[in-house]
Order: sequence, then C-alpha cells, then structure tokens
Amino acid sequence: MEANFLQIALVFLVTFVAAIDQFDFTESLYQPIVTGPIIGAILGDVQTGLVVGGTYQLMTIGNMPIGGAQPPNAVIGGIMAAVFACTLEMDPNVAVATAIPFALLGQYGVTLFFTLRAPLMESFRAAAVKADTKAITKLTVISEVILGLIFAFIVTLFFIGGLTAGQAVVDMVPKWLNNGLSAAGGMMKFVGFAILLKIMMSRDMWAFFLLGFGLTTIVHGIPSLAKPELLIMAMIGFGLAFWDFQQQTELKGAAFDGGDMSDGI
Amino acid sequence: MASNEFTVPAQYEDLTPAPNVDKKTLNRMVWRSYWLQSSFNYETMQSGGWLFAMVPGLEKVHTNKNDLAASMYHNLDFINTHPFLVTFVMGIVLSLEQNKVDTQTIRSVRISAASPLGGIGDALFWLTLVPITAGITSNMAIEGNLIAPLIFLIVFHAALFACRFGLMNWAYKMGTSAIDSLTSNMQAFTRAAAIMGCFVVGALTVNMGGTQINLNIPNGTTRGLAAHTVVVSNEEAENFADLAIDTETAEAGTLGMTDEDGTALKAADADGNVVDCGIVDLGNGMSSVTYGEVTVSDVSFSVASTLDTVMPKLVPLALVLLLYFLFAKKNFTPIKGIILMLIIGILGALPLNEWLGITWWTGLW
Repeated sequence: MEANFLQIALVFLVTFVAAIDQFDFTESLYQPIVTGPIIGAILGDVQTGLVVGGTYQLMTIGNMPIGGAQPPNAVIGGIMAAVFACTLEMDPNVAVATAIPFALLGQYGVTLFFTLRAPLMESFRAAAVKADTKAITKLTVISEVILGLIFAFIVTLFFIGGLTAGQAVVDMVPKWLNNGLSAAGGMMKFVGFAILLKIMMSRDMWAFFLLGFGLTTIVHGIPSLAKPELLIMAMIGFGLAFWDFQQQTELKGAAFDGGDMSDGI
Repeated sequence: MASNEFTVPAQYEDLTPAPNVDKKTLNRMVWRSYWLQSSFNYETMQSGGWLFAMVPGLEKVHTNKNDLAASMYHNLDFINTHPFLVTFVMGIVLSLEQNKVDTQTIRSVRISAASPLGGIGDALFWLTLVPITAGITSNMAIEGNLIAPLIFLIVFHAALFACRFGLMNWAYKMGTSAIDSLTSNMQAFTRAAAIMGCFVVGALTVNMGGTQINLNIPNGTTRGLAAHTVVVSNEEAENFADLAIDTETAEAGTLGMTDEDGTALKAADADGNVVDCGIVDLGNGMSSVTYGEVTVSDVSFSVASTLDTVMPKLVPLALVLLLYFLFAKKNFTPIKGIILMLIIGILGALPLNEWLGITWWTGLW
C-alpha cells in the first residue's frame, strides 16, 4: 500500500504525542489499545487497528515500566503492529510479533537517550543559579520536543521504509557498543547517589549509609521481599531516624527534668 | 558547556516563614506534576521535571532572589519517585521551603520521602489498576468494541486525578502543621533527616545497583570419569572386562573398566557419588556392567560469583564510593562523573577478544 502525504504526516504527529505521553502527562494515551485504533483510522481500517491494539495491550500487561526498568517500547511496538496489520494485511498476532524487534529497538533507543540527556541537567543548573524560572519551562519544553521528534522520525522512517529499513538500523549498532552504553546507563544513577551522599554526609552518617547498604543486601537476597524492599528499608530507616530524634530531644529535656527529680526525692 | 559551580548555602538569607501558598498555586503545581519525567535522564532521573513542577510554589515562597536560586539549584538533586504519587512529596517539600528550613534538611527529607513511593505506586497502579482495567478493555477491543479504549482512559484518569490532587493538599497541610513542633528541635530533626537520607541512599545502592562484572575467564579443563551402567548378556559382558585405559591421557568419550595396572576405575554417577567399575553377574544369563567414560569439560573462572562471595553488590558500592570520593575530595562536577561512567561502560564492553585476540576477555558487562 502506498502511503499518501497526509497519512505520513498524521503518523508522525501521533507518534510525536505518544512518545511524550509515555513518560508524562496522561501516561496512557501511548498505550497500544489507544494508538492501535488511531493508527487504524489514519490508514483506513479502525477495526483492524483496534484488534491489534487490544492484542498488543494484552501482551504488555506483564511488561510494565516497573522500578525504572525499560520494557520493550510500547509506543514503537504498538504503532508498528497497527501499521503492519493495516498496510500488509497481516493477522493481528503476526503483526504484534513482527513489531517486537521494533519495540526492542525502541527500548535500546530510550536507554541511550536517557544516558545522553544527562548533560542537559547542566543547563537546568545554569538556569537555577540565575533563578531563571522561565528558562526551566523552556528547557522542559525543548527536552520533550526532542524526545517526541526522535520517536516520530524513527517511526515515520519505519512506516515508509518498512521491515527492511528496520533491520538495517538494528544491524548498524554493534552489539558490544550497545552493551557498553546500557552498562554506562546503569551506572549513571551512582553519580546521583554520590552527590546526595556528599550533601548529607558527616562522620556520624557513614554508619547509617553502611547500615542501609548491609541490611538491604539481606532483604535483596530474599525473593519474596523483592517488591516491598524499599518500603521495608524506609521503615527501618525511619525507625532509626525517629529513635535518634527522640534520643537527641530527650537528652536535651533530661537536663531540666533531672533537676526536678532530685528535688522531689 | 558552562560549568555551574554553585554552593548551596546551609540556610536561606530570608528566614521569615512565608505565608501559606494559595490553592491556585497548589493546583498549578499539581498540573505541572504531570510533566515530572519530562527531562528524565540517568544522572538525576526526574529532577528537571520535579523542579519544573515545584517552580510556582518556590516563586511564591522565596521572594529573595538568592534564596530562589539556591532553592532551585538544590531541587535539581537526584530524585526518583512514582509519577502518580509525586504530589505527596511536593506538598511536604513545599511546606519545608515555606518555613525556610535548612537546605540540607530539605534535601534529606526529599530523597527519603520520594524513594520508597516507587514500590507503593507500582503496586497500586501498574500491578493493580492497569492490569485490571486494561485486561477487561483489551478483550472488549479484540471483540471490536470501540468504547473499550475510552473506558480504559476514563477509569485510569479518574483514579490518577483524585490521587494527585488529594495527596498534594493533604501533604502540604500535614507539613505546615507539623512544622512548628519540628522547628523547636531543628538540629535533631536535621540530624534525623540526614540519618534517614544516608540510610536510603545505602538501600538504593543495593536496590537499583544492577552493575556487575560478568567476566568469565577460561581456566583450563577438568577431567573426570562418568559412570554408566548397562545390563547385557554374559557373553557381551566379557567384551568389557579388559577395557584398560590411561585416565590421564585418554580422549574424551573413551570407555574404560580398569586403569593400565588392572585396578578397577572409580567413576562418578549422575548424582556425583563415586562408584566402582566392574561386572556383576545377575545370575539369569545377564550381567550388570558399570563402566567409566572419560569426560573433559571447560572450566572458567567467574568474576561475578567470586565477587558475590565477598559481598553482593560490591561493584555498585565501589562505584558510589569512588564517585563520592571524586565529588567530595577532588571537586569533580556531576558532568565529569557521567563522562567517567560512560568511559568505564564503553571500555568495559570493547570486543578485545575479536580485535586483539585476547581469548580470556569476554567483556565486563
């Protein structure tokens, strides 16, 4: 099927919105159950789009963005599945399976993008130092537009180029570089942690950092506690902090109370 | 890129508590909180979007421009919380900002309140609300019902909307009313907040630190004898009797009963128990023959499992401590830290085994 200019423009627009929406705003318009019928409508087959969207949605239920993990990208996957089903007249299940490599590509792309976006924080800090609240808004908008454009361009290219173009892009990035980038992405958070430590750390506080680390390794080794792990640790941490707070304030109070008591006796 | 060396003062210049923030501003913050992840990145995660959401409140609270700059700067600290529950943290932090609490306390409270919400939010939304609503509506969609996506959107958003507005107002009220009792014990409170903050960062290092050195160094081969038992006729059993081999040199797959001196071999059965090779006459014209097969298997030295026996999560801990050292003692800027991580990540993944023929190198990650 030859796509006309209007269809290409609309796919571009839908992807642009869905790409931004996957992390912000409604965090639901991007779901395949919504994008499926929309893409279907653009390509002239709402029903097929709807069925593919529903099929893809069921597949992603076990694949939610939990704990900051990046699942195969549902924006690219969902849209491409609908495109395949509507243009190549694929069976919905086949279309969903065919779209999976594209979803995986999207997953790598997002990881790479989040890694490369880290330097943008320097611009945020520069604006903060000048107390420039307008610049914060501007940077937020720019940041979102870039994300949306990258997704929209990639999906539109796939839309026009089809399957062969997708495979070519996947083959272009060597596997080792992919590994290295995703490892680096996984290490970026340590930068954030270390900065927080620098702010809060004093000689007394090392004990609590080590306590937090040590106790969490224990809880981490118990599979049934994996999900509530941070909540458990927050409770222990809060308990320690609260106990220390009481100790500190009662000591202060005890100096006065002590006098009263000896008078009483 | 311009370097933004900026030291956040311990206290704001204007220490007079600001009047309560009006409802309209709180609502603006709630709407902006929808863009929490707008600048999501792997260094400070949601910090850009967090600041964007906090700006209306911070502007109201800090009329002194230097204070506003300091506040905006430290509101760019690492933060990772649940997007649907973030307004809870925003309400608390705003109440602290309004009362001009020490900056370090605000920073400690923010990370401590924000971090554990992720698990709660995931459980509430991704593991409960979405699977149920999406599960029902996808089936409706597959049957061709166009209302399905609409139902999904309406249910999902009604829940979120209630959550965001409710939490913002509740947390702000709670923060402002609790603040009086807290400020009379400010020093102890700051200390308690830092305790919880450091504890949580220690916990996050384990919880979110997935970095591991997955290097497997080939370490020669090991030889063994695998025991097999077959039942054959007595005549055939005769053929096994004189299978003598040299276990040190025989090729993998060679079968044997005795070593070259005629002593019965000892082989390991499938469960790893040692059994003697030999022939047992079963008395019915059949014999049970136990023979050994020489096995040669590759042995590799796994760096990961060795590190795990020392201490799980050793690599994340080492990296956090290294970066802390660089930031605290060597005046590293965050961007330098990021570049360092990128270099380590890419260097560790170089395919040296292909490029230089280093056989033991399998990539660090």
